[in-house]
Amino acid sequence: MRHPNQATLALHAGGDLGPFARWLTSRHLARCESCREEVAAFDEVRQSLPGLAEVPDLPWNRLAAEIKANVRLGLAAGECVRSVDPPLRQSGLIHGGRAAVAFACAAVLVVTGMVLERPLPPAAREEGPLVQNTPYGIEVRAGGQTLGLTNNGVQRVTYSLDAQGSMGARYVDPETGAVTINTVYVQ
Amino acid sequence: MSDVIEPGLELLERQNRFVSEHFRRIFVQIYHLVQNVADAQDLTQEAFIKALQHQEQLKDGQKAAQWLSRIATNTAIDFLRRSSRATFSELEDAFESGSETPEQILLRSEHREYLEDGLRLLSPRERAALIMRDVEGLPAEEVAQRLNCSKATVRSHIANGRTKFRRYMEKRKR
Repeated sequence: MRHPNQATLALHAGGDLGPFARWLTSRHLARCESCREEVAAFDEVRQSLPGLAEVPDLPWNRLAAEIKANVRLGLAAGECVRSVDPPLRQSGLIHGGRAAVAFACAAVLVVTGMVLERPLPPAAREEGPLVQNTPYGIEVRAGGQTLGLTNNGVQRVTYSLDAQGSMGARYVDPETGAVTINTVYVQ
Repeated sequence: MSDVIEPGLELLERQNRFVSEHFRRIFVQIYHLVQNVADAQDLTQEAFIKALQHQEQLKDGQKAAQWLSRIATNTAIDFLRRSSRATFSELEDAFESGSETPEQILLRSEHREYLEDGLRLLSPRERAALIMRDVEGLPAEEVAQRLNCSKATVRSHIANGRTKFRRYMEKRKR
């Protein structure tokens, strides 16, 4: 006897086969005990999954207000970025003197490169606070002093960095399962 | 949504109304995929921002809900792809209710963790297809629309998802 494959039985359990395939499979199942057991096992999977449908009892009104405010903020931020960076097609310079602009840009690039390549005195480098991740956690350095926020010896840590210079570390303690989120903001 | 954008308060009002109308449905949809309240909140915001920034792509206002669902699904799948860290259950805090004993809460929490462990074995698209089909009970056609793929591909994702989950359940039983 030729049995349907696992995928067909898995789909049959959820009623996801087309009419003809369903009819063929049903016919086979009527006389095959082992395939019926397979379908029953897939059915058990389907019965257990709705346990994931539950949504916690949340303060929906507060959540809606927060989401609205953050969406507004996100849209405003997007607008700012767009207005600072106008599309090149609208610029008259592009139509006028492309070569001149390209040459000027190249010159600025070379000069900037030369200026940046100049070695700075150590004091100048230390002017602003510096945030960095180390094997132990997040470290903040400013004015020759260092402050460290350790990750409690956890090896698997996700670091995130944003444009404002803040750094975050997220990790799950393998022993306790506790989740820690550290964020260091630099101003 | 399908109207021309007007600056000022009216636009703001319309955006607020759009978020109010859809936020709970989109939140729940994303929550089912990521199984975490904080991530679901972030991703819901992200989905709304994407939708409102590209609202000119929506030609038919009647299909706003469907279009938004697709954006939400893609946002959640992208998140699952780039996030290798484990999701974790928040049942102890969020599900606590006066009608349940601590034992019941614990049992429910354990069962949920058991299911979440199984979900982690699936690829993001298999996971999304399985949840939409077997948890939300959507027909395969709608799952295909949300995942922007063919019905045959969705069937393949569903079959793979059920097979992997079944193996996981059998292994845990032993």
